[in-house]
Amino acid sequence: MHANAQSAPAPQGAQPILRVRDLQAHYRTSHFGVRRGVKAVDGVSFAVNRGEIYGLAGESSSGKTTLIKSIAGAIRPPLEIVGGSVEFAFLPGYGGLHRAPPVDVARIRWRHLSYIMQGSMNVLNPVRRVRSVFVDFAYPHIGGSRKQFEQQVIAHLARVRLDPSVLAAFPHELSGGMRQRTTLALATICRPDFIIADEPTTALDVVVQKEVLGMIRGIQRETGSSVLFVTHDMGVHAHVTDRLAIMYAGRLVEEAATAEIFRNPLHPYTRHLISSRPRIGDDTPREGLGGSPPNLADPPPGCRFHPRCPLATEICKREVPAMLEADTGHRVACFAVNQGSRP
Amino acid sequence: MNDLLLDISEVSKTFVRGGLWSRQKIAAVSEVSFQLAARRPEILAIIGESGSGKTTLARMILNIETPTSGKLVLDGIDLAAIRNSAGRMAFMHKVQPIFQNPFESFNPLKRLDRYLFMTRRRFSGEAGEGAAETTVNHALHKVGLSLKEVRHRYPHELSGGQLQRVAIARALLAEPKLIVADEPVSMIDASLRISIVNLFKTLRDELGISIIYVTHDLATAYYISDRIMIMQKGRVVESGDARTVLKAPQHPYTRQLREAVL
Repeated sequence: MHANAQSAPAPQGAQPILRVRDLQAHYRTSHFGVRRGVKAVDGVSFAVNRGEIYGLAGESSSGKTTLIKSIAGAIRPPLEIVGGSVEFAFLPGYGGLHRAPPVDVARIRWRHLSYIMQGSMNVLNPVRRVRSVFVDFAYPHIGGSRKQFEQQVIAHLARVRLDPSVLAAFPHELSGGMRQRTTLALATICRPDFIIADEPTTALDVVVQKEVLGMIRGIQRETGSSVLFVTHDMGVHAHVTDRLAIMYAGRLVEEAATAEIFRNPLHPYTRHLISSRPRIGDDTPREGLGGSPPNLADPPPGCRFHPRCPLATEICKREVPAMLEADTGHRVACFAVNQGSRP
Repeated sequence: MNDLLLDISEVSKTFVRGGLWSRQKIAAVSEVSFQLAARRPEILAIIGESGSGKTTLARMILNIETPTSGKLVLDGIDLAAIRNSAGRMAFMHKVQPIFQNPFESFNPLKRLDRYLFMTRRRFSGEAGEGAAETTVNHALHKVGLSLKEVRHRYPHELSGGQLQRVAIARALLAEPKLIVADEPVSMIDASLRISIVNLFKTLRDELGISIIYVTHDLATAYYISDRIMIMQKGRVVESGDARTVLKAPQHPYTRQLREAVL
């Protein structure tokens, strides 16, 4: 499963394609004078290098969807970016898509930045044939004659092993796997620099899932795109991602090369995620983790994992641990680990 | 005392789609037979992809769906012969469901403790608030919760894992012999999933409840189940001891599934 152990990190000194600095995105509501704030993303920093698949793992309500929304510039009230910046190499100087002028955003969308979403039905317009969807999304960026464009689409569909006949179909006439492959073809036809993949295979059956993951990996290798791959499924991360960040309650808790995370997880939460995965052929009993994920409207002070953490000490209840490098390229936010008293 | 807790023989379910001229028959389940022994509680995993008929089979065992042909007998009760509410009550005493999404199985406007007290009132003749509280609290203790945590709470106030525990506690109030759990952990967060899975083991070992665990996840099925049944397109393609089937799959489809596990 550590198939990616040898995959090289981006060349040293290369400019990362995406740099997120201390991003804070909160939901703020005010109903009948009652103000509520949910700190869904609270001080997240990371960088994605060119040509790598960067994984983001976290359970529901860990803030990973909010993080993607902030990166993609899909900020609508009550979501607000309270602080920090999101800088793409192809859109420098603005500190986030939400601050860039709409003309620039329209220019880079799909050409440089595209998305693969979980529910492919939400991406594909249900009343338009797949051909029209391709024209809507990609034709303005590719140009040329319509005939050439169609040839290019057919050639690209072949990469995801789809027959040209899908162009004449409506989305509901395709199976879930075919739809997700269509979305994948749609997201990659302009050879974008950066692809955001939000749970792209969660709704698929296991056999189809593996096939689609292989295609994402294959196309990414071919086009050299960078991918931000978000899923809660650690098995999927082990299979496709190069580097992996673990998110818990709105903050990153650990980041390292995927193989390193699986070989040597340091944060107690990551350790639990990996040790609790049932594996075929392994009969050792797994231990559950007590407690439940915190409510982000009222998160615990200090380290947000401390109420469930077996290693928690006094300092964890008061102070927020910083993401520190425990090893080369292996960052972790935990007092117990960073002080050297490794469990 | 019957020897068989559940006896399913040659059960099929066909759905008909379309109008008079465009009739289309879909065989969701075709000729499935299996048995569960009454004396030895076990966890049976039914595995398949979407469209394999595993949920339809589970719904037939729960008597939500009536089979097109074949016979289901649960602890001496023929499911086709249940006619009145007394028969249904007796049936529900023996088998209880757990559904996939705990946020959907509870009414968001109804307090959780009301579910528990109503279920208890329906299934036990005994009256009195004090006795009811003891029984409900006892059931919640079995799943690692207490009445204090649940009382006056609405579903949105609990996490998915806690809600699924409440759903299990509610099922336990009927003192069933069989629990049919349809994808019970697929909507549960990773950090809570394994404790729910472990809870099923505890139910089998300590309370002697048999569990039919419907899932598409081979890894958790391997972890908890004693016996496994692989379904494809409505048919059982392979079944047997969980460890044997998953370590040395015979049917090509099982092999395909086994290889797709990441």
